[in-house]
Amino acid sequence: MRKPLWRPLSYHQRLRLLLLPYLSGILLLLVLPALLAFGLAFFRYDGLSSPTWLGTLNFIFVTTDELFLLSVQNSLALVILPVPLRVFGAFLLAVLLRRNGRFLGWFRAAVYLPSIVPTAAYALAWLWILNPIYGPVNLLLQAVGLAQPGWFADSQWAKPGLVLLSLWQIGEGFLVCLAALQDIPPAVEEAALVDGANRPQRFFYLTLPLMAPILLLLAFRDAVVTLQESFTTIFLTTGGGPYYATFTLPMLIYEQGFGLLLFGAASAALWVLYALTGLIVLALYGIARQWQIGTTEETFVL
Amino acid sequence: MSFKLSWRLVTRLLVAAVFLLPLIWMLTAALHPQGRPLPTTLTFSLDLTLANFGRVLELVPMGRYTLNSLLVVLLAVPLTLLTSSWAGFGMAQLPKASQRRWIVLSLAVLMVPGVALWSTRFFIYAWLGWYNTILALIAPAFMGTSPFFVLMFYRAFRRIPVAIYEAARLEGAGVLTSWRQIGLPIARPTAVGVALLSFVLYWSDFISPLLYLRSQSRYTLPIALQLLQQLTPSQWSLLMAGAVLATIIPVALFLLLQPYFARIGS
Repeated sequence: MRKPLWRPLSYHQRLRLLLLPYLSGILLLLVLPALLAFGLAFFRYDGLSSPTWLGTLNFIFVTTDELFLLSVQNSLALVILPVPLRVFGAFLLAVLLRRNGRFLGWFRAAVYLPSIVPTAAYALAWLWILNPIYGPVNLLLQAVGLAQPGWFADSQWAKPGLVLLSLWQIGEGFLVCLAALQDIPPAVEEAALVDGANRPQRFFYLTLPLMAPILLLLAFRDAVVTLQESFTTIFLTTGGGPYYATFTLPMLIYEQGFGLLLFGAASAALWVLYALTGLIVLALYGIARQWQIGTTEETFVL
Repeated sequence: MSFKLSWRLVTRLLVAAVFLLPLIWMLTAALHPQGRPLPTTLTFSLDLTLANFGRVLELVPMGRYTLNSLLVVLLAVPLTLLTSSWAGFGMAQLPKASQRRWIVLSLAVLMVPGVALWSTRFFIYAWLGWYNTILALIAPAFMGTSPFFVLMFYRAFRRIPVAIYEAARLEGAGVLTSWRQIGLPIARPTAVGVALLSFVLYWSDFISPLLYLRSQSRYTLPIALQLLQQLTPSQWSLLMAGAVLATIIPVALFLLLQPYFARIGS
């Protein structure tokens, strides 16, 4: 008997078919460009003529650039300063706005609202808010008799300025914490209440340890995202200045690639960025191991 | 008791005020007449005007760019919901070992720096003929935009006991039928969340139009703001008016969805 040319797919084959757009997208839009980018690091390529082999020259070129070391330091500083503040801030806000009360939905909406503002509009708004002369923040500081920093015009204050503005856009972490607080079984808290634990005790011995894995996961994500996504904000506020005080690795990669058409050198810098991301994730994982939080597979993978 | 409760309310009010402050500053500066000293924090002037918005529209075709931005999200958000919920649905019913492989793949892909993709995606779009078309702006939606969204749906669909899927299958329901009739109703809060997050993502995407569009007529709002900044670098009232114009639609959408947020955890 002839085998039929077309056989109806089994249920499980159809299930895999649902995953097909995801998989092909990952291959075409993530894996392929990432591999190409990493490969380009060994070539001279300007986007017009065909690439020529350079070996490791791009790496030597990039890592001996004075700006390179500076950009790595800036990138690290702009991750280490804001991420703990952002994650812990989101957590505290979630605890504060956890339970019902009057206008709860509106309070939550107010906290989330700055995260809705498009990055470009948000960057412009803060360029105005932190304007050294006319900006509302400095006028406020003047009114209460405090020193008024130069913010984005001052190489000492540009980084704190960027950290400050990032603290208002923590909506995603806030929502994740709210949802995770919901998953704490009420019985656990009732037991603590019966045992006579007061509010701070319940916070430090119950809520915080139970939330630790989620906070860690948020810190991972925030570190990776901040390292890369701060580009738009920096591009539109300080442009990497003043005196390269906020010149980060993504800025360097953009300038080498799209500014100078040195796509090979840009890719070499990319290797460094990826290594840096990996190091941050490893460090966080190490801390987690040390404290034995969130390292069982079930809690770790969502 | 009532004393304690009111303290909580006061703290909440203060927090909300602090978070709204940047938006209030943005709005008051946008409504302030040009050529006068700008309002300071402590003195509020009621001399407000809408003229700045008109002036911005004269300088930069914001209407055109708003339509472009709307087109992008109208295509990208539904597509994202479709592909990411399909992938999450498929993942949730695979054997345990395959589920783990997909999770590991998703997390690994989440770690790829966005910067890594800028230049080489450019070459891929050029090769596909997508350069300088709207397809270059919405391309990630074909794969659910972000593995993060797929994992969110996966998590929601996994809460449904496998027995329910099995029962539906025995009654002859196909994959798509059970996705629509069993999966989606359960995952509605997740869908709202993914819709909002992906809306904000595409609406505020500055990189893709910057790198992959050449024709001015196809620009989206974030690029319009950059153009405005280049035209009038220190006219703060105008810049803030532009920022407000680019912010109104997402804020309106968010306020519509706000009741869903209030329900989290209560």
